[in-house]
Amino acid sequence: MSDEGASGGGTRPDDSESAGDETAVDDPGGGKGNAAAADDAEPAGGEAALSDVLDGPRKLHPLTIPYRFVQQGAGLVVILVFTGLPGSIGAFGPLGGVLALLGIVALAGLVVGYYVAYHRRFEYELTRDTFDIRSGVFSRREREIPLRRIQNVDISQNVVQRALGLAQVNLKTAGGGQTEAQLQYVGEDEADRVQSEVSRLRRLGADTENGEATERTAETVFEITERELGVLAVVSTDFRVLSLLFFGASLFGPSAFSFLEEELFASPDSVVGLVLGPIAGILSVIAIGVVTGLFRATRYYGFKLDRGEEELRYQRGLLQKYSGTIPLSKVQTLTVRENVLARKLGYAALFIETAGQAGAQAESSGSQSAIPLAERDRVRDLARSIEPADLDAFERPPRRARQRYAVRYALVLVALSGLLYLGTLAIDVLAYWYLPLVGLVAVPYAAHLKWKHRGYAVGEDHVVTRNGFWVRQTKVVPFHRVQTTFSTETIFQRNRDLGTVVVDTAGSRSLSGNDPKAVDVDAGTMNDVRETVVDRLYAALDRRRRERRRSR
Amino acid sequence: MGASRRLDPRIRYKWIATAAVSALISAVVVGFVTQLVASETAVLSEDPTVAYGVSEVAVQVGAVALMVFLVVGVGRAVLYYRSWRYEVREDSLYLTRGVLTRRQTVAPYVRVQHIDTQRSPFDRLLGLSSLVVYTAGTRGADVTIPGLTYDRAATLQTRLKRLAIATEEEDAV
Repeated sequence: MSDEGASGGGTRPDDSESAGDETAVDDPGGGKGNAAAADDAEPAGGEAALSDVLDGPRKLHPLTIPYRFVQQGAGLVVILVFTGLPGSIGAFGPLGGVLALLGIVALAGLVVGYYVAYHRRFEYELTRDTFDIRSGVFSRREREIPLRRIQNVDISQNVVQRALGLAQVNLKTAGGGQTEAQLQYVGEDEADRVQSEVSRLRRLGADTENGEATERTAETVFEITERELGVLAVVSTDFRVLSLLFFGASLFGPSAFSFLEEELFASPDSVVGLVLGPIAGILSVIAIGVVTGLFRATRYYGFKLDRGEEELRYQRGLLQKYSGTIPLSKVQTLTVRENVLARKLGYAALFIETAGQAGAQAESSGSQSAIPLAERDRVRDLARSIEPADLDAFERPPRRARQRYAVRYALVLVALSGLLYLGTLAIDVLAYWYLPLVGLVAVPYAAHLKWKHRGYAVGEDHVVTRNGFWVRQTKVVPFHRVQTTFSTETIFQRNRDLGTVVVDTAGSRSLSGNDPKAVDVDAGTMNDVRETVVDRLYAALDRRRRERRRSR
Repeated sequence: MGASRRLDPRIRYKWIATAAVSALISAVVVGFVTQLVASETAVLSEDPTVAYGVSEVAVQVGAVALMVFLVVGVGRAVLYYRSWRYEVREDSLYLTRGVLTRRQTVAPYVRVQHIDTQRSPFDRLLGLSSLVVYTAGTRGADVTIPGLTYDRAATLQTRLKRLAIATEEEDAV
């Protein structure tokens, strides 16, 4: 049931992605194809529903014109009025003022005229296989975006747009990373309609290839509660501020204390000021941390997650609203993330990394927050429903790994003290340079904790890794998503017969920080794991191939 | 297939040359820094005879640094060459290399997107090229085999491409 080529995409039935197709066409002749597609949509069988969807081109919401004018043009006009008017009155007298006023009005008229023209020349249309956009006042642009390339349809609204009933629609391709096209702005209902119709048409297109049309209504799998939102705000405070406090104390402590001795007996005012000063400093630092946490919470206000046939759809936001989709068939890695505070309270977050399909070379990947924060059990249930891995069966690295961490932390503290000492020599300031050495007492326990929260497991269908104490990340990678495996042994690791295995996937965001890795495992185990993961990759691919053949 | 292969010995010249150049640059930097520090100290000590010896000290320190860097750099280049091995296995390409930090890489054929050969001007001088295997992972360019003769690189490229194509397209991600 593939399209006869009236759309610009020209996709083959088995092609997972028309890689490299440029769909933006600048010559006006491209319009003919779309009219033909609209005419070809005959109601027939399961496609009867299509006729009311493919009802021809639509325009943006009329309120767009005043909104855009105010947003972009008004500032300029105001500046002109306030600078140009007095200037010309001063130079040319009242006549000059009148002329300037007329000039500004004319300019404003031109700007409005441009926006009106742009609005009249902007059309978008949903056809059976493509999303078409025709726009441009002076240079026309006609785009036909194959629906297959559209991964997500995101809707966002800021406060003003919400008041006016407007919304911005972003069409994202290739794993949700790039915005291919935007509709600025349409009505809220229209935005929802576009979002659901694109989904439906994509599913219809995919299903008719398999010979059946299925539709599954979305069910809400998660809605954030007020309590979880509160915990999110608290837990999101940036704890790095605490280390700043420590560092500041060791530098400024002695001078503060010397002040204390001098002024304490001088007057009561100074004592109060002295005590309040540092307290105010500490409080403001904490306040900054709390405010950033609150910001995070407002972005996730009203977070709701629905599960559709092949995707998760989310909505969130208080002032600015967002909505989007996470395609489940492109999940590369699941990450359960808990920072130390969240862990104590029994909460966790879930992140999903996706990637574009064959042909995309790691330029198209996205990590999206599937659950910003929820009770740990809820998070684990959802994670398991996407990838059924055992999140508890871990093998820890050998105990001798703790020695590495102990040495590392001790060295850091000693180096810090050394630096502070050198600083006192150079700058002639009294500082408690030996204060960091006090931390040496805590080093063995810290090393143990770091080791305790490390682990890996090579399971039936997944490899699971876990790392981190302050922020613990448990990463699940299904074998059929494994790309390349690496192993490294630094000279310090070789000393203790340890090594690290890294599992590379297509969804890996950063170069090194965010990969699933089994760190400081026994060297023999490292070699085993590295080879086993690749063997299991092939086994998993074989299994899936057999299942696909069976279901055809 | 399957045998553990080494790089062409000529790659050592490239690495040694690179090491020599960076040793020279580093030694010059060290010399300058010593000059700076020594002249500051000379100024502070207010002893006229000390100022005379500053540039001599700098040159001596620079020379010593050059020797040290050369020995370390050249030694590392040779050892690195000795450590390099690659194997064209049944299902994957296996690489191992490293002096201080040893790295092993396993690149499954089914994941290979495309294979490039690259030749820098220095490579061309020595008649060598590198092979770069790209996968959809973000570390695609980490699967690089340097120091292959032009023929060997071309043969390997063709062979790997054939092994990669033998797998189904849908499995590539």
